[in-house]
Order: sequence, then structure tokens, then C-alpha cells
Amino acid sequence: MADDNYFDAIVIGSGISGGWAAKELTEKGLSVIMLERGRDIEHVKDYVNANKETWEFPHRGGRTQQMIEDYPVLKRDYPLNETVLDMWAKDKESPYTETKPFSWFRGYQVGGRSLTWGRQSYRLNEADFEANLKDGHGVDWPIRYKDLASWYSYVEKFAGIQGNRDGLSVLPDGEYLPAIDMNVVEKDVAARIKAHYKGERHFIMGRSANITQPKPEQNRLNCQYRNRCWRGCPYGAYFSTQSATLPAAKATKRLTVRPFSIVTKILYDKNTKKATGVEILDAQTNKTVEYKSKIVFVNASAFNSTWVLMNSATDIWPDGLGSSSGELGHNVMDHHFRLGANGRAEGYDDKYMYGRRPSGIYVPRFRNWGSDTRDYVRGFGYQGSASRTGWSRDIAEVGIGADLKNAMSEPGDWNMGIMAFGEMLPYHENRIKLNKDKKDKWGLPVLDMDVEIKDNEKKMRVDMMADAKEMLEAAGLKDVHTYDSGYEPGMGIHEMGTARMGRDPKTSVLNGNNQVWDALNVFVTDGAAMTSASCVNPSLTYMAMTARAADFAVSELKKGNL
Amino acid sequence: MERRELLKLITVVTGGALIGGELFLTGCKNDPKIGGEAFTDEDIAFLDEASETIMPATTTPGAKAAKTGLFMTVMVNDCYTKEDQKIFHSGISKLNDAMEKKHKVSFMEASPEQRKELFNELDKEAREYATKKSEFDRGESAKANEAKANGQKYEKKTMDPHYFTMVKQLSILGFFTSKTGATETLRHVAVPGKFDGNFPYKKGDKAWFEQ
Repeated sequence: MADDNYFDAIVIGSGISGGWAAKELTEKGLSVIMLERGRDIEHVKDYVNANKETWEFPHRGGRTQQMIEDYPVLKRDYPLNETVLDMWAKDKESPYTETKPFSWFRGYQVGGRSLTWGRQSYRLNEADFEANLKDGHGVDWPIRYKDLASWYSYVEKFAGIQGNRDGLSVLPDGEYLPAIDMNVVEKDVAARIKAHYKGERHFIMGRSANITQPKPEQNRLNCQYRNRCWRGCPYGAYFSTQSATLPAAKATKRLTVRPFSIVTKILYDKNTKKATGVEILDAQTNKTVEYKSKIVFVNASAFNSTWVLMNSATDIWPDGLGSSSGELGHNVMDHHFRLGANGRAEGYDDKYMYGRRPSGIYVPRFRNWGSDTRDYVRGFGYQGSASRTGWSRDIAEVGIGADLKNAMSEPGDWNMGIMAFGEMLPYHENRIKLNKDKKDKWGLPVLDMDVEIKDNEKKMRVDMMADAKEMLEAAGLKDVHTYDSGYEPGMGIHEMGTARMGRDPKTSVLNGNNQVWDALNVFVTDGAAMTSASCVNPSLTYMAMTARAADFAVSELKKGNL
Repeated sequence: MERRELLKLITVVTGGALIGGELFLTGCKNDPKIGGEAFTDEDIAFLDEASETIMPATTTPGAKAAKTGLFMTVMVNDCYTKEDQKIFHSGISKLNDAMEKKHKVSFMEASPEQRKELFNELDKEAREYATKKSEFDRGESAKANEAKANGQKYEKKTMDPHYFTMVKQLSILGFFTSKTGATETLRHVAVPGKFDGNFPYKKGDKAWFEQ
């Protein structure tokens, strides 16, 4: 084994949590190799569509029949379009099977889905960490809010989150940059909801990882209000691996990034009960390479992290490293959504907006909170925004010609829309497993998905829609109508679970420090580790969990415990 | 993901205005294009005139100046299903036939007023048809949902879209997403640099392009 194949730490994956692992470990003095299965994307230079205008795309940002044929999964929802096609994995090269329908939207490139994420950044609250214990679903989290609170602060300060400190226990405050403003309609809706629900429901500015003050130390400029984040930001104004964690890790001169590196297994030594490194398949040369290290951070995104574990140490545990608990691959969670309500706001004809915001408003959970109790457990929140309709609206009263053109050249009514995002319980039966009958182009077994929403989620969805209507009507909106565009697991693009944290190695894959119980120098700190889902967007929690675990790992290394 | 954008698209679709939304959000009938009928230069000239009738030059340039005819052919070739391509192609002859019937001239020979008169009639016809179609499609969805609830499968039937709806949608989409449409008929600032949620508006001010 040549020395250049040895590192203090291996990080598998380069998305939100992989980037944080690389940053924290290198800054604490470790030499790190970051292994990424896809191609490299260089900050700014490779954001090929960042500055294109709509008319510069042949289909004006739409989707072609060829794209629909090539992307049988991505086509199921909005991500498939001409403007960001190069930021998604090629579905045809990345097959999986569906015992039950599951939409798996993947970003196989340096930066992973940190390039395309929605950037909504919320803390889980105290009750989220106690929910499983209290209502008996899943297992108890081995950590509490207080264990993560300082780490949330730490990652928020670095990532740069705009938002207000709203003083709500349901949505704990963090370290924020000045909030982007609500528009005039949203401000009035917020005030009416506050008055109508007597402070029991809140309508606040969404908190997002878009910077509103420059971070010169990170070479990042503040948001320019183009709202084209997911094409890659030339100003580095939203948090991504490329804009934030990768430059920090590279600055230490202790980071090696290796694209086109598919980790096929973690190498495990049964005598020491520790990992010794990983084996990769070079996606370009098809050659196998081994890397050795003291510790391994698994940050391949929830399902791929678990896929790596399932393929590791199979001579000892046929179902893979971490399977001794019987929980590896189980307890899949996502956020169920795609339903809500819209309504028209009257009386703002002399108001408009300038600039395109990268975040809307947020309504934190209010069901099963405080004195409220429902016929289901847990809750949901809403994301939304108000805006004036534009040229794409239907103008039924004018047929065609100059009158239609003139009517369309002016803005229409103000509309307010909200969409619910609900918590999904961790069900043991909701699982992914290896499908050894189907192989990808590298001859590797693919995942099979067997996940569904159950009664609790279905009951919750009734409220998710009805409450949306009630709240918009209470806020004075007219012609309020509800919609349900249908949800199938995975569409939330918040895959969680499959290697959950817990207090007991018999019922969980990871301990309270994100260590695999069966190999204490292996850490899993992405969505796979989640013990329950909360209803808030999860990425900020992965960041905090990763920074915490990296700190623990380095202190254990120093003590000689790993 | 830009969930707020998704939300906006859904607002457009559920609001009944399908301009672009249909293409951008669903556009999938599991029927990849297997090479459709080709468009001729005459077809492009025809579609330029048709789109100009829908979005004419006023104080600002119209659809023809935005090369909307060519854009429409690209969209039909690349983004329409094979079935929809057929409907669109036969729509060109149907438009001509309707003009012959109404004004005894071909579409290309007809005056702007004759074109406008015919298109206003077709627009009404297409709208009434669209109402029937959406009722029909809703009924089929309900049947499919009922079947699903009973553990059965139901193959949804659909009504074809009206050819004039296609022409109108593509004319509007092509015009407003063109450089002239977005920057001269509408307003567009590539890099706004700031956000103002209480920006003054007076009747007659142009809408933002937004995309």
C-alpha cells in the first residue's frame, strides 16, 4: 500500500454533510480524502447556465420528450427541466427497483444536492427529539435538543442563514443574518393570522441559507435576488459545498478530492472490530482502488450511505455492516407534501415587488402542539408566498390580439399560496434492501424501495389541506381553493432513516455520536442517521450533526480510543 | 429544490391557465418522440403569421419579430408527444380550411382583420372544448382513483387537446419568453441586486418577466 493511499480520514460523499465532514476534519488537523462518485463541478466556472436568460434555452427552460425518456424518475416532478439538467444523476445509468413507487432524485457530482437544495434551514425543536419516546413510534433519539443546540449555532454562523428570531419554542431561533423582507400582502396576512388565532399560529419569514451580508472571508457576496439558485450561484450567495465548506477544507492543504470514485465497500477488520479503509471503483477506468484511514465518515446521502454499509463486512454479517440490529435499511422517512391552498388578495393594485426572492414564508407546526390534539400524531408546516400573477395567467375575457397582449403585459391579481410539508413516522416495514437480481452498469447490485405512507400520514393530509384553506380565509383571501397534486414517497427529496441513531445496538445502527455500533470508527452523519423526521427541512440538522460527530471523532482519536 | 417555484407552477395549473404549465410540469405520456412529420419553411411562415395574429406588434414588437414560428416548430418536434404532434400538424390544415370556408381565401392571403375574426371564433370554440375536456379528464381521474382505492387498475382515457389551444399556448409562450417579449413588452432586470416587497405600481406599468 503506497503512502498516497493513506489518509487520517475518508469522507464518502461531497454533498451538504460530506462537505461539512471534510471541512471540520481538515480544520482539526486531519488529512482527508473526499470520495465522490460523480464528476467534479468547479465553483462558478462550471455553473454553465447560471447567467443564461430564458430565451437562450432552446425550449425556454422546458422539458423535451427525449429528456422524459432519459429521465424516467426525474420526470415525475418539477426537477426535470432544461436549466439544471446537468445537476442531476442520469436516471438510466442509476437504476433501482420499486416494490412500491418511490421517486429518488439524486445529484451525483461534487457538491451533490447542496447545489440544488431548497436552502430552507430550520432547527428541530426539543419535542422533536422526544417524540418517539412519548408516542412510542420508532426508538428514542439518543440525543436531545441541548446536545445539538450549540452545533446548530456553529453551522448557522458559517453557512449564513437569513431569517428572524421569532421567539417560538416550536421553531427554535438560531444565529441569523438580517431577514429578507415579506412583501406587503404577506405582512398583512401574517398580522391577520396572528390576530385570528390569538398568537397560536405563526406566519413568519422563511429561514434560508442565502446570505444577506457579504462574507468576504469566504469570498461570498450577498444575494442578488435573481432566484436562480439551483443553477449554481456565481456570487456564492447560497450555501453549497462549493461556495462554503469545500474552499475552507481546501485552504488547510489537507484535503484531497477524488471524483469518479464509487465506494463499493468499507474494509472491516474483525479482529480490531474497526474499519481500515474503503474500496472504490473508479467510474472512468473501472479499476478497483483501496484507501486506508483511521476513521471513515459516510455521507453518501441517506440511501447510498446505507447501500455502502449493506455491501460491507458481509463475510461477518450477510446483510452488511450495521445489520446486526435488524434495522439497517429500515425506517425510511421523507416529508409528505404537494397539497395546500391558494387564494386571491384584494386591495393591493398599487403594490408590486422588485427583485426575485430566494425564499418565501413559513408557517411552523401548530397541530398536536400546546393544547391541540388530533386523531394522528406529529404535525406539519407550510411554505408559501404571495405574488402578483404575470403573463402566464389565463385571461378568459380577452380572446386574442393586441387586447390580449396588452392585458398580459400588465400584472394580474395578487395571489397567496401555501403548501404543507408533513412528518412521516419511522415504520420498520418501510425499507430499502439490496436487489441482487438487478445490477447497474458497473455490475453493482441496486436498491429496491418498499416504502409507503400509512394511516397517520393520510389523516394528517386531511388537516394539511383543510387548515390551509381555513387559514387563508381567516387572513381575508378570496376564492380560496385547495389542491392535492398527489404524493409518492421520495418526492420530498428528504430521504431519512435506514441507519438510525439509538440508545441500544439491538434496535439501532448508530449510537448517539453517529458511530456504527459494530465499527466505532465509522460515522454516518447524513439523513440515514435520523431517528425521526420532524416536519422541518432536514439539511441544517445534518450539518450540525456532522460538525458534532467530527469534533467527537477527533477528540476520540486524540485519546487513542479509535 | 425551489419549492416556491413548484408552488407557483401548481398555482398556474390549478388556476386553469395551462400556458406552458402543461409542458413544463407534466408533459409526460410515456411516449417518446419517434420522429414526427417535418415542418417546411412554409409552415414556419404560416406559424409566424398565426402567432402574430395572437400576439401582434403594437407599440412593441410582436410574435413574428420574436421568431415565434420557428420556436413553435422546435417545441412541437421536441416537446410534444407523437399524438400531439399529429394534432398540431393537422391543425395547420384545419386553420387553412376554416379560413377558406369563412372568407374564401387562404390563411396566408387573408388580411389581419380576417385572421383576427377567425381566431376569435376559434378561441371561443377551443375554450368551450377545453371546459368539456377538463370535465372529462376529472371524471377519468375520479374513476382511476376509485379503482385504485378498490385495489384495481383503470386505464385513464383522455380527450385530445384542441389544435387552437396548442397554437395559442405556443404563441404566448414563445412570445413572452423571447428577448423582445421579456424585455420590451414586459420588464426584466437580470440582476435586481435588492428586494422590495412594497414597490409602487400604477396602472399601465409593465409586468416583470420573472423567470
